[in-house]
Amino acid sequence: MEISFSEEQEMLIKTAADFLAAECPKTKARELEEDEKGYSPEMWKKMAELGWMGLMIPEEHDGMGMTFQDLTILIEQMGKNVTPGPFACTVVEGATAILEAGTEEQKKEFLPKIASGEAIFTTALLEPGGIYYEASGVGLKATAQGENFVLNGTKVFVEMANVANYLICVARTREGSSGEEGISLFIVDAKSPGVSCEVIPTIAFDKLCEVRFENAAVPKKNVLGEVDKGWPIVETVLRRGAIAKCAESVGGMQASLDMTVSYCKERVQYDRPIGAFQALQHIMADMWMVTQTSRYLTYQTAWMESEGIPCAMEGAMAKAYVNENYKWITERTVSLHGGIGTSREHDAGLYYRRAKAADTAFGSTDFQREVVAQKIGLIS
Amino acid sequence: MDFKLTDEQTKLRKEFFDVCEGLEKKKPKGFAGLEGIYDTDEGWEYHLDCAREFGKRGWLSLGWPEEYGGQGTIMDKVFLSEATGYHDVPGVDIFGVNMLAPTLLAAGTDEMRKEYLPSIASGERMWCELWSEPNAGSDLAALTTSAVRKGDEYVINGQKIWSTGAHRGDWAFALVRTDPHADRKQKGITFLLMDMKIPGVTVKPLLYMDRCHLYNEVFLDDVRVPVRNVVGEENQGWGVTQTLANFERSSLGAIMAMHRQIEEVVEYCNETKVNGVPLAKNPLIRNRLAQMASELWASHALAYKIADAQSKNEMAAFDASAVKVFSGELQARMAQFGCDLLGPYGQVKHSKWAQFDGFFEKWYQQSFILNVAMGTNEIQRNIIAWYGLGLPRMK
Repeated sequence: MEISFSEEQEMLIKTAADFLAAECPKTKARELEEDEKGYSPEMWKKMAELGWMGLMIPEEHDGMGMTFQDLTILIEQMGKNVTPGPFACTVVEGATAILEAGTEEQKKEFLPKIASGEAIFTTALLEPGGIYYEASGVGLKATAQGENFVLNGTKVFVEMANVANYLICVARTREGSSGEEGISLFIVDAKSPGVSCEVIPTIAFDKLCEVRFENAAVPKKNVLGEVDKGWPIVETVLRRGAIAKCAESVGGMQASLDMTVSYCKERVQYDRPIGAFQALQHIMADMWMVTQTSRYLTYQTAWMESEGIPCAMEGAMAKAYVNENYKWITERTVSLHGGIGTSREHDAGLYYRRAKAADTAFGSTDFQREVVAQKIGLIS
Repeated sequence: MDFKLTDEQTKLRKEFFDVCEGLEKKKPKGFAGLEGIYDTDEGWEYHLDCAREFGKRGWLSLGWPEEYGGQGTIMDKVFLSEATGYHDVPGVDIFGVNMLAPTLLAAGTDEMRKEYLPSIASGERMWCELWSEPNAGSDLAALTTSAVRKGDEYVINGQKIWSTGAHRGDWAFALVRTDPHADRKQKGITFLLMDMKIPGVTVKPLLYMDRCHLYNEVFLDDVRVPVRNVVGEENQGWGVTQTLANFERSSLGAIMAMHRQIEEVVEYCNETKVNGVPLAKNPLIRNRLAQMASELWASHALAYKIADAQSKNEMAAFDASAVKVFSGELQARMAQFGCDLLGPYGQVKHSKWAQFDGFFEKWYQQSFILNVAMGTNEIQRNIIAWYGLGLPRMK
């Protein structure tokens, strides 16, 4: 047991913190919320040069060959800083799907493009009417026609589809006896005829999109994994996505706590810093406690995932737990700042809005708790 | 970062769990937690039996230096806590093994260690604590029990309160005031060891709300204690109490106890039907239980971090405060949930109508022991705010 960072991980953290402080101050984060693309191509390029896009991609595919755990450590720093852009949907979701299920040709084609920053990936899963990340909600039809599959239907909440080069589309190729049967994954070139995209206005201005597929043809070589048997790949992507989202949230929790503590040390009312009042001290003590529990729960789960230890239960527990506490900490952060915390210019609201966005991604709390209920052995 | 146990650790941990599973089978009916140890004679006998069993295996001296009969590491002690917690098996004297032994190792003389450690390691002598007073609770340093030096003895007068198991303990470690004129109240306090069976010591029960005998008032009237029983220096006792870094404070015992409770509640919900439908299918119950299981897993992860930090001498007091507060309050909610689940049966004590042998009825009340004793959770939050976050300290 060695529950502290390795030297290599410490270095990664320092590099990330320095880079993000210089390249992505909070003013930049808010600016990108107003930006049409929602990310900065220059920053993206620099991140790729640091090797971040290829962090967990093996060296043979031009990556750094580090672990999923290392990636979450980096993502925690990005969350601490608020770093808008298609990083997680490309590097966690896209890379995971291809690493897990891609053929050698697909790996050779796509992984170096991810590692170099050339390709932005995203996952198209949810559909109108569905709020849970469940197989039964997948209805978008993919029909075999000659050399292609033809896709018809609509996906929603597809992260950064407005700038993505490739969409990993979760589609139904067959009506199975269970929702999980008959699901297939397709790597869709976002420029394909019949694919169109519209940004949904959201709380974090984070470019979640509606993507329509109207007779969009996808070559059969772009089927990812086996036809009709794609759901387990989606589960892995969702699990990793959720754990990475926890790491991002832990970063945001720490930033919110730090901001609150330093404000309460400086802000003087009734002739003393407001942080001298126990009513506020105990709130901040609680904020610190849940940051710590969230942190180590996330670290432990990320370690399990990285080691290949089954952790569907732990992943759901972590997401359920972190969801609630990130929202709570950021709510407390706004409140303890008083009026100023509610303003557009202040960082408190930036994290508060991100906390809600993080909560919904990969399944909100009640959805995760139902997974937990099953995994701890409650019959259903 | 790596949460993996070594093969040796895994093997030893399993041995702890196996032995505790065996001891659990000998548990008296209705035995639970600290009350189980101190309330009844048969509970106390069971505690002593378990202590001797652990002592024989060298498990009461885990993490001590070899020269004092120690073996293993602090981490091993953490694993033993997990096993005793999961099986709710007593035998590890919280005062002797968990508090006094590390204090002696940090602040005692070689002579004292040789005198007092062997009977702690063998499980033969049980200890209690004489710290709190009617007017010195959270503000412990305000204590006034006086010790006046007469030759090579102190003459002690005063009253102690909330002394857990003082009616059972053979010996006590006490905090007394040796200099009433010191410029700070933390100065002038002395930490000393005393036999509980000497003249002038009167122990009166202070019954807990559920009628159990856990706490006591202890009256000290002209009690004579040899000067050589002082741990550390005279008037420096406050510093001796601050050697907490050496205590096993991961709370993993309480955490593993909750793992067991969740397992049992899940089984109960699967088997118990209300209007023909298993409780397990009730979405509200599913949600609440899943929430608690998640919080429990969160506290478990933090506890391992704290154990790891402690084994490297890197633990801060406020780290341990966090896991104590978190796990204690979770236990309180768990007990309330357990009672809620049982409807009217949630109020029934160990009897033919009881569910879970009255466990949750008991813990609905006992959970305060986790949240009030050893510094209330409000005091723990002060510690976190002042020392962990650097917020201005109350004057």
